[in-house]
Amino acid sequence: MNKTSSKKQSLLSRLMNPKYIMVYATVAIFLIIYLFGAINYGDKGFLSLRTLIISMFTENAYYGISAVGMTMVLITGGIDLSVGAVSALTGMIIAYGVAIMNLPPMLCLLFALVIGVGLGLLMGAGIHYLNVPPFIMTLTGMFLTRGICSLMSRESIEINNELIDALAGFKIYIKWWNEDGEWAKIKPICYINFNFILFIVMIIIGTILLQRTRFGRNVYAIGGNEQSAKLMGLPVARTKILVYGFNGFCSVLAGFAYVLYVKSGWNLALQGGELEVITCAVIGGTLMTGGVGYMVGTLFGVLLKSAIPALITFNGNLLSWWGKIATGALLLLFIFIQRVVVVYSNRKKQE
Amino acid sequence: MKKKAIDFSVITRSKITWAVVAEILILLVCFIIRPDFFSISIQPSTGVLYGSLIDILNRSAEITIIAMGMTLAIALGGTDLSVGALVAVSGAMALKLMRWDVLEYSTPGDYTVYPFWMAILLPLLTCMLMGLFNGILISKGGMQPFIATLILMVSGRGIAQILTNGKQFTTMYSPFRVIGQGHLGPIPMPIIIMTVVCIAMAVFVRKTAFGTFVESVGVNKSASRLSGISSDTVIIIVYTLTGLLAGIAGLIYSSRIMSNDSNNAGINYEMDAILAVVIGGTAMTGGKFSLIGTIIGSIIIRTIVTFVYYFGIVAEATMAFKALIIAVVIILQSEPVREYFARRSEKRALQG
Repeated sequence: MNKTSSKKQSLLSRLMNPKYIMVYATVAIFLIIYLFGAINYGDKGFLSLRTLIISMFTENAYYGISAVGMTMVLITGGIDLSVGAVSALTGMIIAYGVAIMNLPPMLCLLFALVIGVGLGLLMGAGIHYLNVPPFIMTLTGMFLTRGICSLMSRESIEINNELIDALAGFKIYIKWWNEDGEWAKIKPICYINFNFILFIVMIIIGTILLQRTRFGRNVYAIGGNEQSAKLMGLPVARTKILVYGFNGFCSVLAGFAYVLYVKSGWNLALQGGELEVITCAVIGGTLMTGGVGYMVGTLFGVLLKSAIPALITFNGNLLSWWGKIATGALLLLFIFIQRVVVVYSNRKKQE
Repeated sequence: MKKKAIDFSVITRSKITWAVVAEILILLVCFIIRPDFFSISIQPSTGVLYGSLIDILNRSAEITIIAMGMTLAIALGGTDLSVGALVAVSGAMALKLMRWDVLEYSTPGDYTVYPFWMAILLPLLTCMLMGLFNGILISKGGMQPFIATLILMVSGRGIAQILTNGKQFTTMYSPFRVIGQGHLGPIPMPIIIMTVVCIAMAVFVRKTAFGTFVESVGVNKSASRLSGISSDTVIIIVYTLTGLLAGIAGLIYSSRIMSNDSNNAGINYEMDAILAVVIGGTAMTGGKFSLIGTIIGSIIIRTIVTFVYYFGIVAEATMAFKALIIAVVIILQSEPVREYFARRSEKRALQG
């Protein structure tokens, strides 16, 4: 980016850049849904910090962590279907190592990281050098990982470990002055846990990687046009392989967050999780064709997606299946907005 | 001598060859471990053919039928992720019509509330409409097929659950049982349905110009439009057809279990179908397609599953075996490897 020109622009005009439209759309629709919930179920406690932090951030933190890597893969124009399986494998490795082999959990996590990142790099290499479509390559990775999970154990393995318990039980209660003027836990009780922190940290790391590093600019360039990126002399092979490796890293961390959430390893855990993660990224404004996407959008995508089940819970009369249909409708809405934005900006370019 | 070498290069360049080789290798391993693997006998009580090979064909019916439509969708340069969910919708709809949710029909039995033809046609029609929805989103809406069909993939299972109010119905209606468990002469019904669908597709695609239209649109959409092919119509027909075929597979699936299972019916079918198509040599980028390759691909997938069952390996580990064999096929089919083989056989031809 040209530093002098960007300095001259005011903050407002920089924020009005059309490339952010999709992110704004996500934020706006999230606010509308939140407002809807506030008006209808505000008296039932929808407005409380507890709903916002626990049912929207914390309960879906593992999807969010995985979505950070997925956003990056989608920006390069690829896709990774193996994330749910890699997360499940992480759970299996930790559960198997801790419960059956009596290993320290951090060692198991390290081992899972090596496997997850290794598989990601391998798939990236296959996609780049063998020219296998990402869809097929990562589908194979997904089948392989799920199969290995099942070979390890078909039943769910419980984890009883002090460190895991400590991390899962780690809570920072949010406090405020109550009516008596005392510094106390707010009601309804609300806290920030390890998964929440991990999610936010990963979003920040993802943002820095994408917006502030050469690697991030290469990612956008490859997504925009791989051929031109190659002709410009950018390290296309290295970037593409690293992106899949980073996604593997995120999936393993997501798996770790899931382990903290359920405290067990199960071979069929997070089945179909890859599509939930892709949905989060897409309603967060990431274009599947590549080249467009922001971590902030993904953050709001996760919030938006988890706001729907929260609304259904607060309503109490609706079957939870409506959640799936609502998510589908939301996807449809977002793709329509994306189309309109793309068509509009193309028309503007032609003028 | 020279002619022979050129023939060889044609064979190694063909993607189907590797699929056939893979299938033969798996069957060979099966045969070595269990010499009775190939034996086919007639069950005396029912007069139906019986044996592992028949079982492979019988159980591959759903995926083969779905993969027929998927081949066309992939030849257009797209995919259809919604087929698995449509399998669930079709089953839920059929069971709902046969076991309408009223008190007097609360126990399963050999009856149907709505006429049988309705319980068969309405699910198929619903699936066709959902396919049409996909097609319209992709052609008129200009959306990416992956995303457009993801919508129904996500919400399809929800729709199936809403249709049956989240309940699981069972039925004992005998005409319905015929679809998945019956037989025509000595041949199981799913194999017959599969064969009819495959032949109908082959005739529709190869004896009319439609197959050429599909390939042309898959290679270049705007060029086809300029040469007078209505790309949008071709896309809509293909996705409607995919929906219909998924509906047929859904009826077979629910007839096998005589029940609807919206959570598990057709799970991962879209993945299996796409794999079958790709193993069969149709490129994900669109263009040329091969229906025979797809049939072989689908049979390979089922053979792996049967292989795993036969040798007492944990059923869920099937996926790992699938992955390994698919990885081998994909690597052999990938451009650099095929180029390498082609170059080598050319060199040999020159030397010869």
